[in-house]
Amino acid sequence: MQQPDKKVLLDMYSTMTKIRLFETEVQKFFGEGLIPGFVHLALGEEASATGTCAALKPSDMITSTHRGHGHCIAKGGDPKLMMAEIFGKSTGYCKGKGGSMHIADFNLGILGANGIVGAGGPLAVGAAFSCQYKENGGVCACFFGDGASNQGTMQESLNFASAWKLPVIFVNENNGYGISCPTSKSMAITNISDRSAAYGIPGATVDGNDVMAVYEAVSEAAKHAREGKGPTLIECKTYRWRGHFEGDPCVYRDDKELKEWMAKEPIGRFKKTLLENKVATEAELEGLKKKAEEEIAAAVKFAKESPVPKVDALLEDVYA
Amino acid sequence: MATKTFLQAINDALRLEMEKDPNVFIIGEDVGKFGGCFGVTQGLYEKFGERRVRDTPITESGIIGLAVGAAAAGLRPVAELMFVDFIGVALDQLFNQAAKMRYMFGGKAKVPMVLRMPQGAGVGAAAQHSQSMESWFVHIPGIKVVIPSTPADAKGLLISAIRDDNPVVFLEHKVLYGAEGEVPDGEYTIPLGKGDIKREGKDVTVVATSLMVKTALDAADVLAKDGISVEVVDPRCLSPLDTDIILKSVGKTQHLVVAHEAVKQGGAGAEIAAVVAEEAIGSLAGPIVRVGAPFCPIPFAQSLEQAYIPGVDAVVAAVKKTLA
Amino acid sequence: MKAAIIANPISGKDIRRIVAHGSVFDNQEKVRMVRRILVGMKAAGVEEVLYMPEGYGIVPRALFDLDPHEIPASIEPVDVFLHMTQEDTVNSAALMEEAGVAVIVVMGGDGTSRAAASGARNTPILPLSTGTNNVFPVMIEATVAGLAAGVMASGGVSPAEGCYEASILEVLVDDEPRDIALIDVATYNDIFVASRAVWDITRVKQIFLSRCKPDSIGLSAIGGILESITPEEPRGLTITLDPAAPRRVRAPIGPGLFAEAGIGAVADMRPGEIVPVDLSPCILAVDGERELKVLEGQHAGVRISKDRLQVVDVERTMECARRKKLLGLCT
Repeated sequence: MQQPDKKVLLDMYSTMTKIRLFETEVQKFFGEGLIPGFVHLALGEEASATGTCAALKPSDMITSTHRGHGHCIAKGGDPKLMMAEIFGKSTGYCKGKGGSMHIADFNLGILGANGIVGAGGPLAVGAAFSCQYKENGGVCACFFGDGASNQGTMQESLNFASAWKLPVIFVNENNGYGISCPTSKSMAITNISDRSAAYGIPGATVDGNDVMAVYEAVSEAAKHAREGKGPTLIECKTYRWRGHFEGDPCVYRDDKELKEWMAKEPIGRFKKTLLENKVATEAELEGLKKKAEEEIAAAVKFAKESPVPKVDALLEDVYA
Repeated sequence: MATKTFLQAINDALRLEMEKDPNVFIIGEDVGKFGGCFGVTQGLYEKFGERRVRDTPITESGIIGLAVGAAAAGLRPVAELMFVDFIGVALDQLFNQAAKMRYMFGGKAKVPMVLRMPQGAGVGAAAQHSQSMESWFVHIPGIKVVIPSTPADAKGLLISAIRDDNPVVFLEHKVLYGAEGEVPDGEYTIPLGKGDIKREGKDVTVVATSLMVKTALDAADVLAKDGISVEVVDPRCLSPLDTDIILKSVGKTQHLVVAHEAVKQGGAGAEIAAVVAEEAIGSLAGPIVRVGAPFCPIPFAQSLEQAYIPGVDAVVAAVKKTLA
Repeated sequence: MKAAIIANPISGKDIRRIVAHGSVFDNQEKVRMVRRILVGMKAAGVEEVLYMPEGYGIVPRALFDLDPHEIPASIEPVDVFLHMTQEDTVNSAALMEEAGVAVIVVMGGDGTSRAAASGARNTPILPLSTGTNNVFPVMIEATVAGLAAGVMASGGVSPAEGCYEASILEVLVDDEPRDIALIDVATYNDIFVASRAVWDITRVKQIFLSRCKPDSIGLSAIGGILESITPEEPRGLTITLDPAAPRRVRAPIGPGLFAEAGIGAVADMRPGEIVPVDLSPCILAVDGERELKVLEGQHAGVRISKDRLQVVDVERTMECARRKKLLGLCT
């Protein structure tokens, strides 16, 4: 594998920073009551989304989850349209009809966040099938959590993709909890990548808070898939800093564990390496951060100033 | 024009669309060399090869999900579930994914897929292989529900369904597979959402679907001997429903019977009855009477199964009730 | 005397399953191995065992299916704060050494053995293979490993009788000892640790070996083509890889993964003598895992340590036990 060039590295830094800022804003506005419904934040999980999408081509596809803001930003989603959607505005990605859990941009290969745990698996199988059918060399990365890994749909998808050698990269973001239920209570294994053996496909566990570890693993998995060798299961060990949803009191885990994981925070780690090795200067990184801040601030402004959907849009787009 | 079976007509439609559009492909359990559980896809594997007629693992969620994902990515899948009864293990992919993608993604997604599912009782297949499930699908915005009763309709409707940019549930009564009828040659389409008058009459409207259309026509013959003129309306699609053709017929006959093989309680017939009650109760000269299966699972023993399936007698009785 | 068990729940999971053909060693198998080890230890008279706690609970799960009478009476975790990283192995091994265990059975690959050895430099270890590139740990039946560890822990066979002494490598950054390696250190042209494993030979600039032989796997297989050095020999080998060099070798550097390398300078390493790392910045990979960053301006070196590691030789231990009539005699 080639060492990614500086642009790729700095893009990853920018993307993670953007995700962090975006989620922080969503957290704030949800707390202020400006965002209706449920939101599931990926604070602390920026590396798995970023490393995965950076290893894909723009024409590749992803299926996402209820915790999908990061995936969407990493695949090139427009924070303005995302924020407007989360605010329920007509200018949002889905004209205000989807909300946080249903953001999609088919032009960018984002086949949608999903409110149903484990539902993305079969969709990714289908998307990957389209690549195989069209022989276009594309791949589909399927994000799913540790909770989803216990759904029948995920097992069916792993089997299906392996039987047909479909170009799916199953990216498991193992953050240790399905809502409040720790993996120790929901499964009799600790490493979800172990399940790859049952489907006769390669599986690996990587440090999900190390963006380069994820990038490297997904790059290799994508290569494997493009060569027609079929799917791969990559488990990214990570942790969500916030609860399952905003408002979750998190009574099921202790602060010590959270602190331990916050010490493994992905952006700072990556930044340190970039600086230590003079890939970028402090000023350059500050500049990128500032740019990200401006972009997210503009997204918030856009979302706040955008109109709510007109009621006559209610029945639009039920059918094509 | 040639005489063909319902099964051959569907097979024709599949072949024609696959010849025309390279993005159309078939997946399902045993649809390849085996030709499908009921033989519907026979010969297609030989003609189009494994790339386009492909056996899946036994994974109904996977089959529907693959179709949804592939449709979202620009293909036109025709997926087959071996029996509609298997939808239970896979419903999420249909009603939460396929049906809602377009709306919840703000009109940007297209999900052009067809999900073919044999249904219906009469072959001794018992409780988990005989149901008529159309009312489940009618309740879901975002999908279309097609339920043909004749070979000619099946062909034209399936071609339309494959060309439609929405997810379409296509329900085939397995007892109909052997039914013969005149089928036009070549390709033709029947618009989804357009009903058809299967027999003109003036005294009573019987709205029937699928195999029950034949039962209704047989009942009409019986009733004709008593001087009762029955109009048999086949909506052909339950979603969208051709309410115009129903209201127009009822406006003429002033009497409505709704007949389907599915369980009467909560059945699609209740929706039709409700539409007529809402829109045209003033023109009715008798009660709306529904014909449907009793509220129990489908039994195995032939004597019980025959008692379960609403027959000609049930339709005749219903017509007499509304005319009384 | 006490014995100890370290079972690494994460060994055998790295990216070499994608980039090569690494075996998948699931944790259920480790659970079954621990059962066999415990039964073996008990058969040799061990009554006290310490173990490393970890997120999966390999040892507690092992106990679930065992009768108390067939295993040691006391099986307790060491009191270590879990970071869920390699540190846990280092810290647990140190606590085990502090507690005076006679031997530590280490289940993992080369990386796990290294972590254990770096925590407990003065305690014999019995490395049992459950990892990827297994040069250091041995593939033997866990029951027998338990028995061998047991006769040593019971005092029947002394470390002098049952262990071999292995050369190890020490890594120094800016003259400070920073890490050890049991088999190999590689200078890797990268700035990221990333997915840790080493499989891209074009990025490897230098190799330092504490041992090598032709039937090895991993970077030491490259040295093994050139010559053989036993673990006991107090010397090592350093090889500079040079893509332009006319002398070329092809060796299995990973499971099912062959790589070709140009051999530049080759030199012996004498104990204590520091061989400089001639690339900075770089990543130093120890025992096949990218581990240490060397930044621009820092200087790093590798030496064969004067300290040696005591490693249980199962065959020798069991032979000794037989001679001493410690085994299986039912009078």
